[in-house]
Amino acid sequence: MTPESSSSAEAEKVVKKEHCENHANCMKLIQMALDGEASPEELEHVRQNLGNCLPCNRGYNLEKAIKQALQLRVEQKAVPQSLVDCIKSKIHEL
Amino acid sequence: MTADEFIAVRQYTESEKYAIFDRELMPHIQSMYNFAFRLTQDEDDANDLVQDTYLKAFRFINSFEKGTNAKAWLFRILKNSFINDYRRKSKEPNKVDYQEVETYYDSEEMAGTSQTTDLRAETVQELLGDEVTNALNALPIDFRTVLILCDVEGFTYEEMAKILDIPIGTVRSRLHRARMLLKEKLKTYATHMGYDTSERSEDEESL
Repeated sequence: MTPESSSSAEAEKVVKKEHCENHANCMKLIQMALDGEASPEELEHVRQNLGNCLPCNRGYNLEKAIKQALQLRVEQKAVPQSLVDCIKSKIHEL
Repeated sequence: MTADEFIAVRQYTESEKYAIFDRELMPHIQSMYNFAFRLTQDEDDANDLVQDTYLKAFRFINSFEKGTNAKAWLFRILKNSFINDYRRKSKEPNKVDYQEVETYYDSEEMAGTSQTTDLRAETVQELLGDEVTNALNALPIDFRTVLILCDVEGFTYEEMAKILDIPIGTVRSRLHRARMLLKEKLKTYATHMGYDTSERSEDEESL
């Protein structure tokens, strides 16, 4: 326990990094975290980066927005009932 | 078709075969149809591909262990059928594209942080479903496939590795590349559609 761990309002005003010297690797970890594939250690690393690094923060928000767009907004085509019926009847002919 | 795909692990009775088919395989037909449509980009081809896949699955149902991951098993058969039967007959510019993409990616990587700074999350949130779909469909097939499996269908990296017959490390790097390419496409769409893609200014910081 260090004295800093008692967070005061002042501690909230962390100055975030404008440049990330390790951004390509950070983005890989961020994607794994969003995919639910990061280890607890990797998640913790990402969490810390998000708190103090602007490029990582933006990258995270962007990746999350894209992932959600793919999950929720990609057009879904309804499977034709004729296809379902055709498969079922062919199976029973076998 | 890889050899281990259809090795019989069980000997089901006729009635068991139909029961498994109806209860475990057919419920995935909606996802299968969408996957087929995204791969072929053609309704008739998607129909044929899904039908071929289900007939194959029934014929080799003894190689499916009841109660295991039916969706991943079906997706794997569909993906292999696509590669063997459909991809061949379509004129295939993807090989060339892939090469270009590798080169492009490497140069991007060298450039360091340039990859994420010029598309905003807010811009992506404003894009319509059609625009997102078009951007996805414009990607070379290998990259489109990993994004469909991961983000649209929610498969884990391990499931994707099995479906695609590639190591998990390759799944990870291919996804990363696919996402970089998708960002470029989305940015192009956003610019054409007149969305604001300019970089966020420094004083816009108050979240």
